[in-house]
Amino acid sequence: MIEPTLSHYLLISGALFSIGLLGVIVRRNILIIYMSLELMLNAANVALVAMSRFNGNLDGQVMVFFIITVAAAEVSVGLALIVALYRKRQTTEVGDLASMKL
Amino acid sequence: MVDQLKFVQLEMMVLVLGLAVLIADLWMAPSKRRLIGHLSALSLGIIFLFSLRESYVDLVNESTDVFFNSRYKIDGLAIFFKRFFILAAIFVLIFAVDFADRIRSGFSEYYAFIIFALAGMMFAASANDFSMLFVSIELITITFYILVSYQRHRLQSLEAGVKYLILGAVSSAFMIYGIALIFGEAGSLKFEDLHAKQSELLGSNVFLFGMLFLFAGLAFKISAFPFQVWAPDVYQGAPTPTTAFLALGSKAAGFVLLIRLLVISLPDLTREWTTLFICISAVTILYGNLCALPQRNLKRLLAYSGIANAGYLLMGIVAQSEAGTAAILYYLAGYLFALITIFLIINLLTKEGEGEDISCLENLNNRSPFLAVAMTLAVVSLAGIPPLAGFFGKFLLIKSVAIEAFGNIGYFVLLAVAVFGVVASIFYYFGIVRTVFWNHKVDEITPVSVGLPIRFVLVSCVVGILYLGLLPNKPIKWVESAAAVENKSLLE
Repeated sequence: MIEPTLSHYLLISGALFSIGLLGVIVRRNILIIYMSLELMLNAANVALVAMSRFNGNLDGQVMVFFIITVAAAEVSVGLALIVALYRKRQTTEVGDLASMKL
Repeated sequence: MVDQLKFVQLEMMVLVLGLAVLIADLWMAPSKRRLIGHLSALSLGIIFLFSLRESYVDLVNESTDVFFNSRYKIDGLAIFFKRFFILAAIFVLIFAVDFADRIRSGFSEYYAFIIFALAGMMFAASANDFSMLFVSIELITITFYILVSYQRHRLQSLEAGVKYLILGAVSSAFMIYGIALIFGEAGSLKFEDLHAKQSELLGSNVFLFGMLFLFAGLAFKISAFPFQVWAPDVYQGAPTPTTAFLALGSKAAGFVLLIRLLVISLPDLTREWTTLFICISAVTILYGNLCALPQRNLKRLLAYSGIANAGYLLMGIVAQSEAGTAAILYYLAGYLFALITIFLIINLLTKEGEGEDISCLENLNNRSPFLAVAMTLAVVSLAGIPPLAGFFGKFLLIKSVAIEAFGNIGYFVLLAVAVFGVVASIFYYFGIVRTVFWNHKVDEITPVSVGLPIRFVLVSCVVGILYLGLLPNKPIKWVESAAAVENKSLLE
């Protein structure tokens, strides 16, 4: 059994962040992009908790609470917005958001 | 403990006002909703007077160690920005009342959101810690998601909202990840601890990576290159009062955090990264000015000019000095008056559903000479022609960089780019002036009706532009003392 060290946690968090970023860039569906964004936020949470544990400083864990709260607010506003857009346009594809050009 | 609340008295008042607006909405008859907006603007005016009181300004000398564990800072810089934000919010609220007919539903909530965003900006002005920075930035951003997409019946507004939402969320994800990396390396979230440890932190790649991520998040707020893609669409699609507040408040909030972080807390890092900041500043100026040239939509044009202005303001960060910070403050003050004037006039001249095409300005000098003069002054000030506010702002920024310039070729490149940008910008700004005075394809002369509150805002903005331009001695002293108080407390 390997004792988990800080770098293990950071590896996971880095992987989560990259997967999330990749999802945001590659996927075309706004809902899935939004899910990927949550993944990126949680990657930061994992990193903060791990660093807080290994630094012996609880500030990082408190920060995680702030992030979770803010992310919840962000999700509720964001989903409402996406629903409003769907009612208007019947689409959740980013490619269709092109009514404003030069 | 309770008497320590005096440090946040202004923010508390603003928050209570926001809640009061929401509650008042329940009792007011729909026909009186206009009154709520004007009353809240008036209350903000009273809060502005509170910020001028001596007992408030004296808080600079007291330490917030006990109450906020030095996470919350009151100094000249914070007080200057708080006043700036309140003033901007007063103008935007009066603007929003005029705009209310086009929102169709939820007027009072619109006012309340403007006030909540203001509270976020005021907290950001005092943030001296990453948790404070993050929460205040998010309070601003999330409120703006709603404010941008407020006209739900307009597809453009929704589209702008979704674009801002996704790009804003990506930028905050980067910012948080950056904060996590910085926290891991520095072991603290406080800016003061970073300042104390900066020389050893500079050797750590993790820390530098974290700073880069954090800077990406803040650069998004100020719409600096390469994080500027959202600005044109969002500015164009958003309701006009939101656009004005976004261009002023959100950008200034980004700058106060950049000043606090890069100039005050981590000067060594900024010195290390001078080349990076010079590049970003120069490319932002070029990109904004060149893309603005072919624009016909006024809000889009102002978005690009806003990008260019972010580049100019970054010069103050590059300068890394008290003079640079003072120049940023001066420039922002001039920018406030000019932008509010322009957006108000655009709004008066366009009806709902029409695009804000530049042709709406045609014949303005016959339709309303007052508006024509105000528009010209504002645009000329933005272009940086003496002797108006914008000229002195640009002059101070360029001067602050020029003083540092000896010994580094990069500074000269930046200066050359800045001057080139000013020249290029004259083309599109004077395109606006030409449309106002000389470009008459239509001969309709319908007078434009301007309500009393709007007239008041326009007159005070014009007075502001002229005052900052013609009598710069006193305001320069104000911004210098606002920028200087900070450095004094740092030396202790």
